[in-house]
Amino acid sequence: MKILVCVKQVPDMASKFTINADGNWYGEQGLAWRMNEYDEFAVEQAVRLWEQEVGAELVVISIGPARCREAIKKALAMGADRGVHVEDENCFKKDPYQIAGILAEYAKGEHFDLIFTGMQSQDRGSGQVGVLLAGMLGLDVVTTIIGFAYQDGKIRVKRELEGGLKAVVEVSSPALLTCQLGLAQPRYPTLPNIMKAKKKELTLISVDDLQQLPSLSQTALVEFPQRRKGGLVLEGDVNDLADELVAILKEKTTVLARK
Amino acid sequence: MEYSREIYWNVGQQVVLPMYILSGVSIVLMIWWGFWRRIKIYRNGKPLSRWDKVAKRLGDALFSTLFQTRVIRSWGAGTAHGLFFFSFMTLLSGTFLVLLQEDVVAPFFNGRFLVGKFYQWFSLSLDISGLVAILMLFGFVWRRYVIRPEGLTSNQDNWIGLSLLLLILVTGFVLEGVRIAATEMDKDLRFWSPVGLAVAASVDDLGEKALRNVHMVIWWTHLVLVMGFIAFIPFSRLRHLILIPVNVFFRDIGPTGKLVSLDLTDESIETFGAESLSDLSWKDILDSDACVSCKRCQDRCPAYATEKPLSPMQLMNQLQALAFAAPNKGSKTESDTGMIEAVSRDAIWACTTCRACESTCPATIAHVGKIVEMRRHLVLMEGAFPGPEVMAAVNQVEINGNPFGLGYADRGGWAKELGVPTLSESTNVDVMYFAGCYASYDKRNIQVARNLIKLCRAAGVRVGILGSEEKCCGEPVRKLGNEYLYQTLAEENISAFKRYGVKHIVTNCPHCFNTLSKEYRDFGLHITVEHATTFFAGLLAEGKLQLKQQAFECTYHDSCYLGRHNGIYMAPRALLNAAGGTIVEMEKNGMEGVCCGGGGGRILAEETLGERMNTRRVNMAMHTGAPLLASSCPFCLTMFEDAARAQDIEENIIPKDMLEILAERL
Repeated sequence: MKILVCVKQVPDMASKFTINADGNWYGEQGLAWRMNEYDEFAVEQAVRLWEQEVGAELVVISIGPARCREAIKKALAMGADRGVHVEDENCFKKDPYQIAGILAEYAKGEHFDLIFTGMQSQDRGSGQVGVLLAGMLGLDVVTTIIGFAYQDGKIRVKRELEGGLKAVVEVSSPALLTCQLGLAQPRYPTLPNIMKAKKKELTLISVDDLQQLPSLSQTALVEFPQRRKGGLVLEGDVNDLADELVAILKEKTTVLARK
Repeated sequence: MEYSREIYWNVGQQVVLPMYILSGVSIVLMIWWGFWRRIKIYRNGKPLSRWDKVAKRLGDALFSTLFQTRVIRSWGAGTAHGLFFFSFMTLLSGTFLVLLQEDVVAPFFNGRFLVGKFYQWFSLSLDISGLVAILMLFGFVWRRYVIRPEGLTSNQDNWIGLSLLLLILVTGFVLEGVRIAATEMDKDLRFWSPVGLAVAASVDDLGEKALRNVHMVIWWTHLVLVMGFIAFIPFSRLRHLILIPVNVFFRDIGPTGKLVSLDLTDESIETFGAESLSDLSWKDILDSDACVSCKRCQDRCPAYATEKPLSPMQLMNQLQALAFAAPNKGSKTESDTGMIEAVSRDAIWACTTCRACESTCPATIAHVGKIVEMRRHLVLMEGAFPGPEVMAAVNQVEINGNPFGLGYADRGGWAKELGVPTLSESTNVDVMYFAGCYASYDKRNIQVARNLIKLCRAAGVRVGILGSEEKCCGEPVRKLGNEYLYQTLAEENISAFKRYGVKHIVTNCPHCFNTLSKEYRDFGLHITVEHATTFFAGLLAEGKLQLKQQAFECTYHDSCYLGRHNGIYMAPRALLNAAGGTIVEMEKNGMEGVCCGGGGGRILAEETLGERMNTRRVNMAMHTGAPLLASSCPFCLTMFEDAARAQDIEENIIPKDMLEILAERL
């Protein structure tokens, strides 16, 4: 069994963001980097499957500048067998279609039985790469999974729907799954595994060797959100307050629409 | 007439040889049979050299044993033990003097010294000692079997040992009384043995023949009891007579509470921390065997007091039981691989590393290091933490250098409006302030940091910070067992200090202080590191810091890492007094101070078991009636604020960092 996990290195969301000189992405100054949180769940689930299926091979791939090797190493420390780093200084300029194309170009010859990706990245948040990649490889895809079980080529996943509903879906491998937070609590890498990760195979591939497709869209402008007005504080008698609140809810929201 | 007596009266010199044979046999039996097999068990532990500074070690072991310095620190049972010990040693010296005279000095040099005035006082002091020893023994029995203090565990060793001692002392007095009745009733000398005389008076009318028969029987009984007692030592709790002085000799002689840094550069090492007993050192196993279950540690353990499943004493008992469960086998016996589960994970995580146990232990047992070793196994080998919130905080320390998950770039943000330069802006400063995570990011503690700057400026001290180049010192994650992350942080901080040629660091966090001043030495940091309290106390003494006295009443909480870990008790009190403060001490203060619950990385963990430690400590502060709870640690302040808020007692007692109180009086 061959498993692939796609991971992305993103800035920690607590960082103080700036906008880059071209105004088309965030600036990199003062950022702390980490593995995309959704991808951590993907890696964890992939490692658990790898532990279950004796003899399986687990590959982790990431596209980005040299720093993104830290994210690959984290996945290797969590348990992946080998890493693939697609070197690309300008990956932030690529749209999800082009990114998926690069991944597909790598994956097509490798015949993975299962591919895990995060549901979305914390920085761009398009949520498209996994789905596009599945399309390009001709794989079944289930998105937003929060539960996973595998037995003899049969995959049974739980996925999140709107309004708190959940669905159980069954597919057969090969397939691609995009992972939601809460799927499987990512483990803390043990020190022996961190040490071993340093010696695991890490293949470097130039993005030019894999890039076949153009970008279909460009980021025109990145801006900070406009400052909104502060919240509304109601004061006075409790009975009046309740009436006021109901009036506001009726007027501005739909939460009271049903009754 | 010269005062003296015939030694070996009635039994005669011919007893000397069998007596030596008997004592020789019992001592050999004791050492070879008893202790040798114990030493073999100790050797299942990892090697560790404790042969440095032999003279100091020997002096400490002898002094603290002979003068019972660590035992009598605890009033009551400790005092009684001390008195018993001194009495027993007097009796033992008496016996040795008799032996010396009769078997060495008299036969070889034809001299006698147990005569005249010396013999009078010799008799009297032995009599009083015997009486005191018996009284203390009754006290021990009363405490152990009648009062039965909570948590005191007894086994057959206790009653056998106590009975033997009592019988030895009583037969001693009977012997003396019989001898006096037969030989001294007409001499003044009898009044120098008041207890013996009392016995003599009651047996006086038996007649000499009967007295001689009784004397003979009791003499041999006394001897057999003594030999039995010696032979019993290695097989019972009485082994503490030998093991505690030995344990004191081999103790960790400092720096106080400093942890062992793991060698993470050696790639041949693949296991870290302690999963089984054989991962601990021989000294750790000796520690567990030297424990006499006096429960002083348990009485002081903040985790035990708040119903957590940890007792330092029981931990030692568990380790000892494991070590001796399968003797005569090599390392990694089946029984000892279950150490973690035997101790229980909850117990391992409950420790706040406050050192209340270690600082009170009369046997100088080191409990904390063992717990940290087990935590190292859990974190480094299993990736386990006390809870998900702790793992999240540790991840954040890794990413942003602080446990709050706030951006690293903003670490120096609190100091911007004060115009405090970062060292990258200017190295023209007298001291570098290492703010630590709490004073950098936590709103409440930022106020303390600002006051520290105010105080520095008032004293004419130019101060700079590292700002975004500073990282968590690594203390909480290290105490949780994450040695790898700690060492990464230590190396980054030290390289920043070196980059700017920092020579003098001041910090208001006792955890940072302890780490930077002690633990970073292993990574090559040897510069002056001071805690704010000693730093400002120094400036006050030099007259550079002027405080306007303004009367107030407060109680002062000793941070564990300032007090027990570093012995700083006076500087904060001197500063509070200089500011006009009257300190109403809590019952448990100074070395007996009780942890706020934030040490040992617990500041990052939810306290889900038992009563909350911070609540308990704040209630102790409330009992003083003082309106102000002064402390000098960001963890303590945070814990106390939480406790005061949770109990809605913020109006009765206000927790403050003492730097705030000082800054109000500039």
